[in-house]
Order: sequence, then C-alpha cells, then structure tokens
Amino acid sequence: MRFFLRFLLLAYGFMFYLVTTVQAAELAVVIVSSERSAAYVEAEQALLSELERGGVSRYDMLQVTAQEWAGAGALKPKLIVALGSEAATVLAKAETRAPVLCTLLPRSSFERILRTSGRKSSSQFSALYLDQPLSRQVELIRLALPAARRIGVLWGPESQAQAPALKALLQSSGLELVEASVGRDELLFPALKRVLDDSDLLLAVAEPQLFNSSSIQNILLASFRVRVPLVAFSPAYVRAGALIALHVTPTQVGLQAAAITRGVLQGKSLSATPVYSHDFSVTVNEHVARSLGLTLDAVALRDRLRSREATP
Amino acid sequence: MKVVDIRSRMLVAGLLPVTLLAILLAVVFLASRFGDLSDAHSQRARSLARQLATSSEYGLFSDNITHLQTIANGAMRESAVRSVAIVDSQGRILVSAGKPGYTMFPMLAGKETEHFDPTKRLDLLCQPIETSQLKLDDLFEDKAPERVVRPTLLGHVLIEFSRDGLLKREREMLWVGLAVTMGGLLFGGFLAVRLGRGVVIPIYRVSRLIERLGQGELSARAIVLADDPLRDLQLGLNQMAEHLESNRDELEQRIAAATLELRSKKEEAETATLAKSRFLAAASHDLRQPTHALGMFVARLAQLPHDAQTSQLIGNLDASVRATQDLLDGLLDISRLDAQAVKVKLHPFALADIFDQLQVGLSLTASEKGLRLRIRPTPVWLMSDSTLLHRILLNLISNSLRYTTQGSVLVACRVADGGQVARIEVWDSGIGIAPEHHKSIFKEFYQVGNAARNRGKGLGLGLNIVERTAQLLGHPLHLCSKLGHGTRFSIEVPLLPPGTFVETRSPILVDSLGDLEGLVVLVIEDDALAREGLVSLLASWGYEAQGADGFSTAQTLLEQGLIPDIIVSDYRLLDGINGIEVIQQLRHVSGRPIPACLMSGDSDPGFIQAAKEAGLTLLHKPVRPAKLRTLVRRLAADI
Repeated sequence: MRFFLRFLLLAYGFMFYLVTTVQAAELAVVIVSSERSAAYVEAEQALLSELERGGVSRYDMLQVTAQEWAGAGALKPKLIVALGSEAATVLAKAETRAPVLCTLLPRSSFERILRTSGRKSSSQFSALYLDQPLSRQVELIRLALPAARRIGVLWGPESQAQAPALKALLQSSGLELVEASVGRDELLFPALKRVLDDSDLLLAVAEPQLFNSSSIQNILLASFRVRVPLVAFSPAYVRAGALIALHVTPTQVGLQAAAITRGVLQGKSLSATPVYSHDFSVTVNEHVARSLGLTLDAVALRDRLRSREATP
Repeated sequence: MKVVDIRSRMLVAGLLPVTLLAILLAVVFLASRFGDLSDAHSQRARSLARQLATSSEYGLFSDNITHLQTIANGAMRESAVRSVAIVDSQGRILVSAGKPGYTMFPMLAGKETEHFDPTKRLDLLCQPIETSQLKLDDLFEDKAPERVVRPTLLGHVLIEFSRDGLLKREREMLWVGLAVTMGGLLFGGFLAVRLGRGVVIPIYRVSRLIERLGQGELSARAIVLADDPLRDLQLGLNQMAEHLESNRDELEQRIAAATLELRSKKEEAETATLAKSRFLAAASHDLRQPTHALGMFVARLAQLPHDAQTSQLIGNLDASVRATQDLLDGLLDISRLDAQAVKVKLHPFALADIFDQLQVGLSLTASEKGLRLRIRPTPVWLMSDSTLLHRILLNLISNSLRYTTQGSVLVACRVADGGQVARIEVWDSGIGIAPEHHKSIFKEFYQVGNAARNRGKGLGLGLNIVERTAQLLGHPLHLCSKLGHGTRFSIEVPLLPPGTFVETRSPILVDSLGDLEGLVVLVIEDDALAREGLVSLLASWGYEAQGADGFSTAQTLLEQGLIPDIIVSDYRLLDGINGIEVIQQLRHVSGRPIPACLMSGDSDPGFIQAAKEAGLTLLHKPVRPAKLRTLVRRLAADI
C-alpha cells in the first residue's frame, strides 16, 4: 500500500516533470533515503522542515527511497541529499549532474563507497559524517573520566588510518594510547585482552568488523569483567552496556544538512572534503556508571563540551 | 441354560464397553504420557544443550578453559547427563566431562543435531555455540549485504543423555496405567455383575414362576419387591395366575356339582330299575298264583263230559291260559336274567336226554299245528349246563314251531371243529327272517310283522332269552335265514372230552310206570283256590289227593292216619315256615323220606339254591298240568 502510494507520488512527479520542463528545472532538492526507518524519517523531516522554514517550497523538494531512485534518474535538482549508506551507494553509481551530499553514514562507509565506486570526495560528491571528530572524543574523555590516563583502542582494517592522528591528539592531551590491531580474519579476543589489560578505558571506533551486534556483547562482557568502561560512538551501544557515547542525532544531522543545502541553493558549492557534524549529543548509561562508581550528567557534559568547542 | 445365557449376555453388555473404554483410555493415556515424557526428555535435553551453549559462549570467546570446564562439570550434575564435551570451531575438544558413549566423533555442521543410539539408549545432542546477536539498530551498522555481520560460530557443545531414567519413568507409568485399567475393569465388572444380577434374578424368578404356573401350580405367586425392575410384569403374572386359579376352582366346582347331579340321577335310575325289577318279580309272583289255579281248573274242567260247543270253549280257554302261562314263564326268565340270578353250573350230560324231553314237551304243540317235529337221535355228550341248554333249545324250537305254518321243524346235532364242539341246529320251513331283522329279533319283545301284538304269535321274549342265556354259557349262536326260505338257528356247545367218566343214569321210563291210581298226594298250599284246583286236578288223574293249608293241617292229616306217597308243597306258606321246612318236618314226622316237590312263583335265587340243596324239584307257578303229571309220575317211580 505504501509502495503503491509512493509509486503514485513518483508518477505524479514524472508527470509534473514531463508536462512542464520549466518547473522540473526548478526542482531544488531530491532527498534519497536508504530506508523508511525511524532515524531516516526523523532526519528527513528535520531537513524538510528546516528547508521549508528557510523559504524552499515543499513542491521543490522530492523524497524518494534508494530503490525508487532508479526510475528518477532524469530529474535535475540542484542538490541530491543521500540519507544512509545504501542511498549513497546508489547515487555513487548514478550519473547525476547535481551534487550529492551523503549523510547519515559513518566515515568508514563513505570511504568504502568511494573506493568501490572509484569516486573521489569532491564538491560534486561529498559527505556529512555520523562519526564524531577524534578531538571531540578525546575532549569528552577528559571531561567525563579525568582519571583515565591510558586510552585503549582497537583498530580494524578500515580505521587503522586514524591511529597516528589519535596518537598525536592524545599525546598533546597528556594521555597514553594503548592500541591493538585486529586483522581481517583474526580473533578479536587476544587483541581485546591486550588492550583491556593495560588501559583505563576502551574507546570504540566505528569499525564494523570489530564493533557489531554479534561481537558487542562479548566485548562489553570482557571489558566489564576487568572494570574498563567502554566509550562508544552510538546511543545503541550505551543501551547495550557502554558507559558513555558521543554521537549526533538524526535531527541534528537533518538540520546541518539543511544548512548545507541552503548554501548550495544560494550558489555555494559543497565542501570537497567531508565534514563532521557541528552539533552532537552525549548519552550516559546510568546503571553502568553507578556500578563503576561514577556520576555522570549527559546534558552537563554536552554543554561543557560545546562551550569548550566554542572557545578554542 | 436360558438364564445363564441372559446372565452372560448381561455381563458382556456391561463389561464390553467398560473394557473397551478402559483399554482405550489406558492406551490413549499411556501413549500421550509416553509422548509427553519423550517430548519433555527431548526438550529438556535440547534446552540444557542450548543453555550450555549460551553459557559457553563467553568462555569460548575468551578461550577460558577453566570457565568451560566448570560449565561442563556443572552440566554433569544434571540428571540423565552422561557426558559433556565442548569443542571449538576447529573441532578440537576443549573440555569434556563424563564418559562419552560414542567412539566416533560426530559431524559438526554448525546446526542443532540429535542422534539416538538405540543399543546404548543414549541421545547425543550437538548444539552449535554462536556469538549472541544484540539488536543494535544502529546507523553505524552497514546494511550492505556483503557487510552484514553474521553470527560467528565459536564451537559446539556435545552432550549425551541417557534414556534409562526415561525408560524407568515409562515403565512406572505403564504399571500405573495397567493398575488403573485393571482397577477400572474390576470396578466396571463388579458394577456390571451387580446391575446384571439386579435384572437377571428377577427374570429368573419370573421364569421359575411361569414354569410353576405351566406345571399347573396355579397357587404360585411372585414376591413383588418395590424396587424390582420387572415389578409390573410380576404383578401382571400374579393377576393372571389369580384369574386362572379362580377359573379353575370355579370349573372344578361346576364339575363336582355336575358329577353329584349325575350320581344322584344314576342312583335314581338304578333305584327305578330296581323298583321295576321288584315290581316285575312281585307282579309275576302274584299273577302266577291265580293263573296256576286257573290252569288247574281248566284242566279239571276239560276232563268233565261236555257237549261239543262247551268243549270248544274249554279248548279256547285252555289255549289262553297256556299263553298266559308262557308269558309269565318268559317274564320270569327275563327277570331272573336281569337280576343275574341265573348261575351257570357246567356238568357232563347226554344231549339225548334233553332231546327226549323236548320231543315229549313239544310233539303235542307241533301236531296241533299240523307240523312235523323231527329230532334226530344223537349219542353225544356235552359239557354245559343242561338246564340252560334245555331252555335255549326249547325256546328256539317253540319259536320255529310258532313261525312255521306247514312243513317240519328239524333238530339235529353235528360234531364240528375237529370233534371239539357239537353244533346243534334247529331248522324250520317257516316264513324266514329278512336280513335287516337279523339283529333286531334278539331284542326284548321284538316281533317281525306283529305290530298288533297278536298273542298267538308269542311274546317276543324267547329269542332274547336264548341270546342272553347263550352269552351266559359262552356258546356261539348263529342265525341263517332268508325271507320265505325258512330259518336255521345253530348253537355250538363244547363236547365232553373223551375219556371222562360219566355216571350214567337209567332213563326214566314214565310210560312204564303203569297204573298209578290210588297214589296218595298231599298238597300243601295256603291259597285255598289254588289248593282246591290242584287237589281236584290230581283227583281227576285218579290220585288220592289231600289238601292242607300249612304244616299244622298236614301234621293233623298225618296224625289222622294219612300216609302220603308224594308231597307237593308251595314254598311260601302261612305259618312263617317255608315249604322246604314243612317237607323236612313231615318226613321227620312220618319217619320216611317221602318224595316231594316244591312249587313257587318266586324267582329269588337264594330260594332256588336252597331247593336244590334240599334235593327238591322246583316247579315254577303257574304249573302246567302236563308238567306236574310228568313230575308226579317220576317221583312215584322213586317210591
């Protein structure tokens, strides 16, 4: 039914385009969503309402899913916003004249898409990452867990590249990096054990090979046994047992994507390099904090982090 | 047999459903319980394996052998667990506990498998150990198909369960089931028997009751109980039995009443017959006396000189008197036969004697009718009662003479049947008897062609007397006659067996006695008329006759010097003493055995017997003059 309605909507769009090419040329934004789950809808709505608030007509914006995009290739919007990895993958393969802003996807995914599609990040194909910048994460650690000196990190094949940056960052902050790498077919536990044995906290990086729904329980269990808190990158990890997470919400993503879109519509080009979100949120698992003897206030931490970033 | 049949049928009807139900329930119950037990066993085993797999996950993830060993040992504490082994993803046994029942290591396919070894009754369960999936629903999760993270296979748990406990439980269950079934059957059987008895016993009672009723025991009643299932039937039977009994009683009463009535009727009839016989006897006696006197007077009258016209009248008178005398004789014979007073006395005698008497007695009658009576002399001796045979032949010949108008009557005797019997035949050339009358002529007072009852044709008693007497003697009597061609009667009398000694007696030659004039005859007769008639008759024959009315008169006569040669006495006399006693006393008084004879109108057998015992000839009244004369001559011969 929903598919049928969407199809009707698309058919309506086509007719619109075919009958009045002038109007079609004026189409401002096409939002391609990977799926229709809550996070995507939230981001989409935030984007749309923010654009509308900024004066973009609702009729100048078209929402399709990645699967529907195949039939909408003839559209000529000023900007295509891809929500999620699947939409980004589809658009990376598509020949579009309009610039594409990939968002609501982690950095590792975007880089993989670039690799597989042979594209390069440019003003025509850029991204707004879900990931938080390493500096912000280090800053949060310093704020939330000032006693932690040794920061444990597990690197996977996709995240290994960030290691020097983090090491430098930590060193500048007076912190020690305890790292271990896990190869493509290596067991996770030996590396994890090494890291956990020598660190005060485990900083999780968005590396799907290491941190996924299948492994997270054992990682959390192992870290909890040695009373090493896990600092994660997603509220889902906090719900699963991580102590704290620094992340961006879909609404925050949508709002920032709207700002970028407005810029593009006003004639600015996309940033050639992918950008991190300006805004962010902090989520704390109070139970885990209590069991570790900690008292953390998520809102206060976010506010303090924001204020620090505002005054560099 | 029938009751047994009903009882067994009732038992079957009661037990069969109970048995079927009990067995069905037991089978269903046991099957379902066995299934439950087996399912529970399998589920428990599988859940234990899964639990083990789950708890082994972290140990395998972290390669913690001690932890895994603890888990395996803990699992061994569970009942029915025979062995536990945890292997890693490469198939190496990390830890094991218990003694495995398998020798070959099973295939580890990363799937839940189950293998049952029937010989050892061991279930081997293989449970893969995978990393547990935590649903993150995270934007960081890569949804690309090649990027989706699958659960990692960490290893396998191999756990063996023994089915001994299960079998033990099943066996216990089976016993319990059997016990419950048997209990149900026993209870059901008990109920069936009890309930069946409640029906069968009343049926038995009813059938016994019907049997008794059928045997005529109508007083039998069913004892009706309030809770009897056949109560109505028994009440109905009781009612029926009551009806039957009352009907039978009523019928019996009616029969008894009818029998009583019949008996009284019969007694009445017998009384009437007896009265008739008495009347007949009395009448014949009372008639005989005057007829006797009349005969005497007529005979006397005939001897007086008369003119021709008077002589003819006297002749007619004499015939009438004779007919009357015949009638009285016949009636006397019939009354004697009726009273069964005639007793047969068999003795040997010569038939010639009887033939002589018949020739003498009937020649006159035959010649009077112008008939020829021929009696052929015969030498045979017979074994019979000569008196009764004489009476038979007398009647037969008289009958022939009566119905023959011309020609002759022939009497002859032939030896027949190889010398066993003598057939005495009486032939006549008379009118003959039509075949339709052959049977009837032997009836009393039956006369062919004499509806007017002409006395000249006899009385119709003769043949009846003949037949009855012949029956009494046991001599077969035959009749051969054709209308217009004469009649032949024959009677078969047994011959005297050869060699039998016979006392012969010289025949009485009456005619050779010569002149008996002057013979003194004492007549004792209480009836004056009869006495006078007899005395005058005897006097007319030239005898010196004296009359006396009783013993005293006779004694007086004797005392006056009368010496009687012969005494003729009546049997019943005035003085209350009978003729036999008078004769004996007179003989005693005179001192010599005076020949005597008795006359009587009585047919009393006792009297006849007494006369025979006293050796006195008895003349039945009315005595015919000719007969008396013959007797007197014979008595005179004994002097």
